[in-house]
Amino acid sequence: MNTIIEAKGLTKVYPPSTKAVNQVSFSVGEGEIFGFLGPNGAGKTTTIKMLTTLASITDGECNVGGYDVRTQQDGVRRSIGLVPQDAAVDGDLTGMENLVLSARLYKVPDGEIKRKADELIGLVGLEGAAARLTRTYSGGMRKRLELIAGLIHEPRVLFLDEPTLGLDIQTRMAMWDYIRGINRDRNVTIFMTTHYLEEADSLCGMVAIIDHGQIKALDSPKALKSSLGRDVLEVELPDGSDVSAKLSSMEMVREVSRKGNTYSLKIEDGGRSLQEISVGLWKLGLEVKDVRLTRSSLDQVFLNVTGRSIRDEVVDNGDYMVARARAERVRS
Amino acid sequence: MLETKELMVRDLKKWFRSPAWLFASLVQPVLWLVLFGNAFNPASMIPSLPGSNAIKTQILQSTFGGAPNYITFLTAGMLCFLVVTWAMWAGGPLVTDRSLGYLNKLLVAPISRTAITFSLLLSSILKGVVLSVMLLVVALILPGGLVFASGFGVADLLGIFAALILLSVGFLWLFMMVSVRAKKFETLAAIGSTLGLPLLFASSALLPTASMPAWLSAIAGINPISKAADVIRYLIVQGRVTGGILSTVTFDLVYLLAFAVVCTLLGVYASNRGLRME
Repeated sequence: MNTIIEAKGLTKVYPPSTKAVNQVSFSVGEGEIFGFLGPNGAGKTTTIKMLTTLASITDGECNVGGYDVRTQQDGVRRSIGLVPQDAAVDGDLTGMENLVLSARLYKVPDGEIKRKADELIGLVGLEGAAARLTRTYSGGMRKRLELIAGLIHEPRVLFLDEPTLGLDIQTRMAMWDYIRGINRDRNVTIFMTTHYLEEADSLCGMVAIIDHGQIKALDSPKALKSSLGRDVLEVELPDGSDVSAKLSSMEMVREVSRKGNTYSLKIEDGGRSLQEISVGLWKLGLEVKDVRLTRSSLDQVFLNVTGRSIRDEVVDNGDYMVARARAERVRS
Repeated sequence: MLETKELMVRDLKKWFRSPAWLFASLVQPVLWLVLFGNAFNPASMIPSLPGSNAIKTQILQSTFGGAPNYITFLTAGMLCFLVVTWAMWAGGPLVTDRSLGYLNKLLVAPISRTAITFSLLLSSILKGVVLSVMLLVVALILPGGLVFASGFGVADLLGIFAALILLSVGFLWLFMMVSVRAKKFETLAAIGSTLGLPLLFASSALLPTASMPAWLSAIAGINPISKAADVIRYLIVQGRVTGGILSTVTFDLVYLLAFAVVCTLLGVYASNRGLRME
């Protein structure tokens, strides 16, 4: 697989001394969906800004689509599309006018604009709304239009900054399908940021977990989960003495913690171990009242590498307000 | 070049589709002309004494540089005020684009940074010209309104628009320097509303500078609005200008040209800096 984005020691310092991104290195293969997962303020948007020539690079090297981001900005700009976090279409123009304007700014030949715009509008099912001013669109329609506005000049890499922020779950899942389709059918490499774990898990082939401007983990969601996550088996026993020592002596069990009569066993590969552990418990002569298996998730991985849960962060960082402000804007 | 045109068309579409702006643009100059022209009409402030009408006319004509009535005098000033007001708000879409995030969309496109500011500049000049024509028409229709000198011709009309465009280019760049930096529309509104009227009063737009105290008249003397208002007034009131007045008009036009050039140089530099990478 050819590398299409390559970053080495990428660093951004905002004066006087705020290190928004600190020594970030990664590479993205052509055709991949690569996700930057992290809470607000982690440095995701700043990274996108550097990769897309919106922010200068304080230190490090970066290459996008074969062009040096520091010195060949025009080449980078011609090879990429950006769907920023905020408004990427003009509410006072119709859907079609927005697409045509985008196409003209990228110098798409006049003869091809109409055909390409129609095709993209069909792709995201906006046929009935193309002639309407986009300020009358719902949040989901708007996001779909923003997505295709970033595609009209057929970029090699599409950057999506929080593509489903503030959308409800159905709309979000529909967006995932569009993003997957674009990646698969048009061979567009996608670099996206998100703070939704399910989004990174479901869409991305590779995920970098970023926190405080640094990459804490980088791998496929599956590999991250199996190396850094743990399946947890919760076992409820009848009243009795502490059996933690007996439980931890079992082969599959890595760690045991106890809360009353409920024991949490961190285990390898939950599905396979479940039967063996059941047999083990029976051999120990323990009567089991209840058993619950929690499979390893990216949330656990996040907790493991950053020391806290991403869900706590989300509210703290005013994400709710951002989502609300966006919703207000879409409505007005 | 092409992208400048596209972005200019976008701005004009937005203007046309925003009923409040469109209404304000059409009504404001007319209101000014009608209300100001009548409320402040100096002719009505001079008491009418028996047999004094001829003297009164003479006083007024000499005060207002030969204009047959106050609205004829005022029209030149109102034209200038109109284009300066438009120049103040020309960068507004840039501030809105920045706060909504649309500006990033433009900045990642392979277009020149100056296309973004030039497009707003051109659309503002175009709006200014259209509205100036409308103002002239309204002034002509008003009872007791605008009277052109008998020799008034196409060359004079071109002179009027040359003065207006130069004046507007200068102020456009001055305010564009604010707009490229401003994070909020309020910044622009605060600066515009603070400077707008003082700029107008400290000029020959509303009243002749001869009637002002020396310090104010000195300020008005260097105010580009005065230069443009004077040029336009001479062309309206005198028609074919010759001799001493011709050299005054030429000097004022050169002054306006220098103002426009200096502001453009400063403005292009400052706005390219304002739009550079974070």
